[in-house]
Amino acid sequence: MSSLRARLLGWLLAGVVFIGAAGGWIVYRNALSEADAFFDYHLRQTALILRDQPVEYLLAPQLAPADAAYDFVVQVWSLDGVRVYLSRPHAVLPQVTTLGFATVATSEGRWRVFGVQALTKVIQVAQPMSVRQQRAAQLALQTLKPFALLLPVLALLIWLAVGHALEPLQRLTALVMARRVDALDSLPDTRLPDEVQPLVSALNDLLARLRAALERERAFMADAAHELRTPLTALHLQMGMLARASGDLERAAAMETLSAGVQRAIRLVEQMLALARQEPRAEAQRVAVRLDDVAREIVAELVPLADAGRIDLGVSAAQPASVYADPDALRTLLRNLVDNAVRYTPAGGRVDVSVEELAGETRGARLTVSDDGPGIPAAERARVFDRFYRRAGTSPPGSGLGLSIVSTIAEGHGARITLADGSSGKGLSVTVTFPPGTPLPA
Amino acid sequence: MRLLLVEDDAMIGEAIRAGLKREGFTVDWVHDAEAADPVLRTEPFELVLLDLGLPGSDGLKLLKVLRARGLAVPVLIITARDAVSDRVQGLDAGADDYLIKPFDLDELAARIRALLRRKAGRPAPTIEYLGVVLDPATHRVTRAGTEIALSPREFALLQLLLERPGVILSRAQIEERLYGWGEEVESNAVEVHIHGLRRKLGAQFILTVRGVGYRVRPAP
Repeated sequence: MSSLRARLLGWLLAGVVFIGAAGGWIVYRNALSEADAFFDYHLRQTALILRDQPVEYLLAPQLAPADAAYDFVVQVWSLDGVRVYLSRPHAVLPQVTTLGFATVATSEGRWRVFGVQALTKVIQVAQPMSVRQQRAAQLALQTLKPFALLLPVLALLIWLAVGHALEPLQRLTALVMARRVDALDSLPDTRLPDEVQPLVSALNDLLARLRAALERERAFMADAAHELRTPLTALHLQMGMLARASGDLERAAAMETLSAGVQRAIRLVEQMLALARQEPRAEAQRVAVRLDDVAREIVAELVPLADAGRIDLGVSAAQPASVYADPDALRTLLRNLVDNAVRYTPAGGRVDVSVEELAGETRGARLTVSDDGPGIPAAERARVFDRFYRRAGTSPPGSGLGLSIVSTIAEGHGARITLADGSSGKGLSVTVTFPPGTPLPA
Repeated sequence: MRLLLVEDDAMIGEAIRAGLKREGFTVDWVHDAEAADPVLRTEPFELVLLDLGLPGSDGLKLLKVLRARGLAVPVLIITARDAVSDRVQGLDAGADDYLIKPFDLDELAARIRALLRRKAGRPAPTIEYLGVVLDPATHRVTRAGTEIALSPREFALLQLLLERPGVILSRAQIEERLYGWGEEVESNAVEVHIHGLRRKLGAQFILTVRGVGYRVRPAP
């Protein structure tokens, strides 16, 4: 049963019935004890009255009709134990004669008896206990009857009351169901019961986060579509040139520029994918990674590129330092930084990668990539992390995404990036400081 | 026909330059608005191809500055900004045409020709003078239905002279309009091309005004 309304109704009715039954039982017990007192008094009175009557009267009994209704049985015994009088025949009668009150068990249930001695007789008045029980039960049932009759009315009331109380929830449901997929504005949170308020708050919080994520996605899509136009325009024009090319030499040259154009488009798409993968996402698998190892690995990977540009690329310092990171993301970060440095440093330049472990037990680490290339003026340093931001007059033209990717990854790892002049006062030095963060497994 | 291309993307710029060269245009190319401004002050370009998304100062700003200064040169915007509002903004800022990336080289060349035609005040796509018909689109010159084979330079020179038939053009003016930056101009190059044209069209088709320059023979 998953309907709150039905569940509440069920529980409440069960409770009401239980309370009713308990009340009935108590009424019955009270009535029974009252009946005991009342009938005991009556038994005794009857016996005492008979005792004071002449014996002849006993032989012509004049019992009050009420006594008959109470199922009183009067027996008179002679002193030698012979019954001389029986008011009413009964299938089973208590045979014992005791003086005073007694409760006697017979094969037809228990009897209450009262015996009293007259001069030569013993008078005994008896009554089956069942009479008393019936009377008590009757009383209890009478008390419960209106209650039972009112039970359906109570159920209806509960049903309506619960329905009314749940109405804000239904309104909320209708509101949420009527929404379009892209309607992510907050739900109204006024006039809500205290129990529903936290749910709506939580929903609104989720909606806000969804809205932000969607906004980011939209902005990215718009940027991406716009940015893709540039390489595609180049490709389109280069194709046109190839189609017009006459002669093998011209065709070969056109093919070459076309292929460079394709390479560029591929790189842009790859960078976009890399960025999209790094966009805020669920906690990726974080493990302990040796930053110095990753640095060596990426430097080795990019040495051919450095050679092609006659750049002296190397690891200048590598202290063993572990960071808690997503290894793939860390590689992407380093690859972008080193790749940038190598690409924008003129031939004959130098690019250094260094890894330091920060002091103390914090296990933080600092990664620095510095070059002696053209550098970035301090005024422009804040903007280079923007998506698709390309500096004026840079060559070769990049995707404008490299540093964006780096900063997104760093952010995801809680790392801080600082840009400064290169070590020799010339060029650029990018420092990524990884926080102490989560303690590493030993 | 010398055009100025303002475009920051190396590949696109290179392709436009090479493609338009095949169409007989001489394209000089700058990468940003800051470089375009001084060049436009000093050199006679027939038309400007302007990208909007330039690094540093925006192309639209450059356009407004040029128009404010009273520069009448036709401007064709080539950009990736395709929103209607962008197009309206561009045209209202003083552009003569608006082409959205990616575009086709043929279309670009056709639009350039159309703008140049409009600038010259010619309704017809071809130029006809004294029985000589010059077609800027196909680069063909005919007289009385017979084709006359011209070199690209000769064609450009003839077009220059026929655009405004009465006007006398000096050698320096011709050189300026025919040759782009970095193109080696032999000292007698203009004379050589004039000589070639006279040989193919008749000695009296182009007249020399001694000490001043050249012009086409006035219509009778």
